[in-house]
Amino acid sequence: MSTKQMHLGAFLQDAGHHIAAWRHPDAPVGAGMNFDHFHYLARRAEAAKFDMIFLGDQMTFQYEEDESLGRTSRGANFDPLTLLSALAVSTRDIGLIATGSTSYNEPFNIARKYSSLDHISKGRAGWNVVTSWTGGEARNFNRNEVMEHGLRYQRAQEFVEVVKGLWDSWDSDALVDDRQQGLFFDPSRLHRLDHQGEFFQVRGPLTISRAPQGYPVIVQAGSSADGQTLAARHAEVIFTAQRNLAEAQKFYREVKSQLADWGRDPDSLKIMPGIFPVVGESAAHAREKFEQLQELVSPEIGWAVLARHLGGFDLSEYSPDDPVPDLPLTQGNQSRQALLLAFARRENLTIRQLYWHVNGTRGHWAVFGTAEEIADTLETWFREGAADGFNIMAPWLPGGLDEFIDQVVPVLQRRGLFRTEYAGSTLREHLGLQIPESRYTTHKAVT
Amino acid sequence: MSRTLHLGVFVETTGRHLAGWRHPDVDPHAPMRFEHYRQLVEIAERGLFDLFFLADGLAVRDRAAERLGRTPKAHFEPLTLLSALAPLTQHIGLIATASTTFNEPWHLARKFASLDHLSQGRAGWNIVTSSSQAEADNFSLATLPTPQDRYRRASEFVDVVRGLWDSWDDDALVADQQQGLYFPPDRLHTLNHQGEFFTIRGPLTVSRAPQGYPLLVQAGSSAQGIELGAKYGEVIYTAQTTLADAQQFYREIKSLAQQAGRQAEDLRVLPGLFPVVAPTRSEAEEKFAELQSLLHPEVGLAQLEHHLGGVDLAGYDLDGLLPELPPGREYTSRAELLINIARRDKLTIRQLYQQVGVARGHPLLIGTPADIADFMESWFHEGGADGFNIMPGWLPGGLNDFVNLVVPELQRRGLYRTAYQGQTLRERMGFKRPASRYHQPEQEITHHG
Repeated sequence: MSTKQMHLGAFLQDAGHHIAAWRHPDAPVGAGMNFDHFHYLARRAEAAKFDMIFLGDQMTFQYEEDESLGRTSRGANFDPLTLLSALAVSTRDIGLIATGSTSYNEPFNIARKYSSLDHISKGRAGWNVVTSWTGGEARNFNRNEVMEHGLRYQRAQEFVEVVKGLWDSWDSDALVDDRQQGLFFDPSRLHRLDHQGEFFQVRGPLTISRAPQGYPVIVQAGSSADGQTLAARHAEVIFTAQRNLAEAQKFYREVKSQLADWGRDPDSLKIMPGIFPVVGESAAHAREKFEQLQELVSPEIGWAVLARHLGGFDLSEYSPDDPVPDLPLTQGNQSRQALLLAFARRENLTIRQLYWHVNGTRGHWAVFGTAEEIADTLETWFREGAADGFNIMAPWLPGGLDEFIDQVVPVLQRRGLFRTEYAGSTLREHLGLQIPESRYTTHKAVT
Repeated sequence: MSRTLHLGVFVETTGRHLAGWRHPDVDPHAPMRFEHYRQLVEIAERGLFDLFFLADGLAVRDRAAERLGRTPKAHFEPLTLLSALAPLTQHIGLIATASTTFNEPWHLARKFASLDHLSQGRAGWNIVTSSSQAEADNFSLATLPTPQDRYRRASEFVDVVRGLWDSWDDDALVADQQQGLYFPPDRLHTLNHQGEFFTIRGPLTVSRAPQGYPLLVQAGSSAQGIELGAKYGEVIYTAQTTLADAQQFYREIKSLAQQAGRQAEDLRVLPGLFPVVAPTRSEAEEKFAELQSLLHPEVGLAQLEHHLGGVDLAGYDLDGLLPELPPGREYTSRAELLINIARRDKLTIRQLYQQVGVARGHPLLIGTPADIADFMESWFHEGGADGFNIMPGWLPGGLNDFVNLVVPELQRRGLYRTAYQGQTLRERMGFKRPASRYHQPEQEITHHG
């Protein structure tokens, strides 16, 4: 039987996605900077045949210097690309995806680093394309304020085009390595880009040969209108925060329907909502486990997290039992703000309820239940046009991922919804994505 | 314990010699094969080397190479490659070049700190400025900044990076689960740097590196390069061809360092050295002749033109003396060195490119293990070097030869360690762990009479 199967990613974040996860009794010491911890998680996800592990990134300390400072584990982490490079040698099959900002990087540097990771891992690299939206990041890169949302995405668009162009610098058969003739590469198979754009002027060629996957897999994670356009044009995987089936289906349809505008097939983009799963012996037991984590949230951090999700608005001075007030969108992460506010309206949430909501699941979709129940939900989303797979955001690590792998994955496998062996060895093969053709294969190089 | 040599290996894909990749023992695909580098670092660690060094450029800098296709111009990005080698090694220092011209301090501070954590204290940063228009062309810059501007930026860049490395105190991460305190806020420091080139708030998102700071390496020998090295460099790579020149350089940079408030022993000077070694001299000569025979004339000439700053030598007789070069251009320290060698030794263009294609301004030594050790010993004892950056002509063969033949000879003479000692690269290099700027040791109180 060859039915379509879902894709699974493990979104790794220091001690876990719950803000208080580092206080969980099983949390490893200094998780964000503990190589053995990440090594364990990567090996575990690989043994479970996950498509990928994913490391997000922010290039700033996340919280302001207020009373919340020092109360989260989020501030100290490895640089994602160095960490994935180190993990590449102790894994064999699993995809390795890291966030890389288009706002504070140069295309040449990003193009070669991801290509290098693709070579080191023999075809398992992926780049999560983001624009950087926090003021803290701006201030680490010579700016007083965040670039305007639209401008950020224009830059991102051109950035991705340049990176793809640089990835085409060398034809896949360029390195002839002919010792006799003294020809290392065939000059007609090396191309310079000569890009002249609004944001970038880049000659090329890149100093690294064509990646095993042609291009590392391009991932996109912002769900704003600009983000969707970027994804429709370039992305092969979307990580998205969707909170219920109807919204997820709508998002899925909308994004996939845009693909045709760019001459793309619906299958060339995999939509993977984030899920925050808590597995228990019963739904009630799962909730109990979750409440144990919630009890570890200190109020100092709780209010700071809420403010951050609302683009900087501090609600701690309001009465916690008031309804959530109307707030304007900021230059920050608009899709996240809009999602959260819409949710608060629809559910008639008080400030206190919203507080617990973001501190529990970071605005992502939480599912509490037995392994069978969680598998039911994933199956429904997968079969009913809401998802091609899921990005697993374990509440605490390694325990939360271990439980998902030990309990939920076997159910999915038994139902034929998830692989029991890797069929290929590259991330593209796991995802069923084509190797992109070079822009030069059709029209020959001009020398 | 008496002073001993420090050794590094300079890994240029398939070796220093431009035709190294054509050597019959070399895998021509090696530049893009991870296993090649894995093998090299294992050999270097077997040889108890201090440093494993990957240089870098941000362009196929040599346009002739682009056109000719006769040299290995496709290679890994150094920081990703060293990160992958980190868990596979235990002792050796992992050094990568990274440009201060086309990077942001925050990125480099974070990547090198991250590598230092991954390697448990073995990372080093070779600080360079990018000096080719080809690189500027890849970074949206129509004109390369002047050397003065580049070095002013480099100096501020290093200052910012060191500041970011001090963001977290060594004991900042207490991770007190009971109190819900991951770190005491007074152990985290915001840099708030405001300078000519950079405005950077900080703090960094990586905790303080095991070495405090990753090791700082510097390699340019222009006046500005030496000044930067004297101010910040801990390991200094340099190209010196005679003992007298090496001694002069050694004295100069150490005295400049002292003028900058540092101690002479805060710097280790490691000139480059290209050894071709065999049990007998005639075997060594044979090995070298084989390499030379593989050097394609187009490559040799293009390389010479590149090192002379892009002059055009087409149309000149290859067997005539190097012509007068156009005045009014700015030549790099490396170009001037080559021109001086050509004048001094009355070299033809062909002879010069053969020499350039081989060691490119570094001493070439062909001989027995004793010959090589004699040379190293004299430079080491006579104030020309604290160690050497070994540049094998072809890889891994040239490195294997050195480790198998020269290392035991150096050990026999008591010039080189017989086992690794110390945990971090700094400890092996004999350097102190830098104190954070927020915890400087008490200044000695001076009494005024």
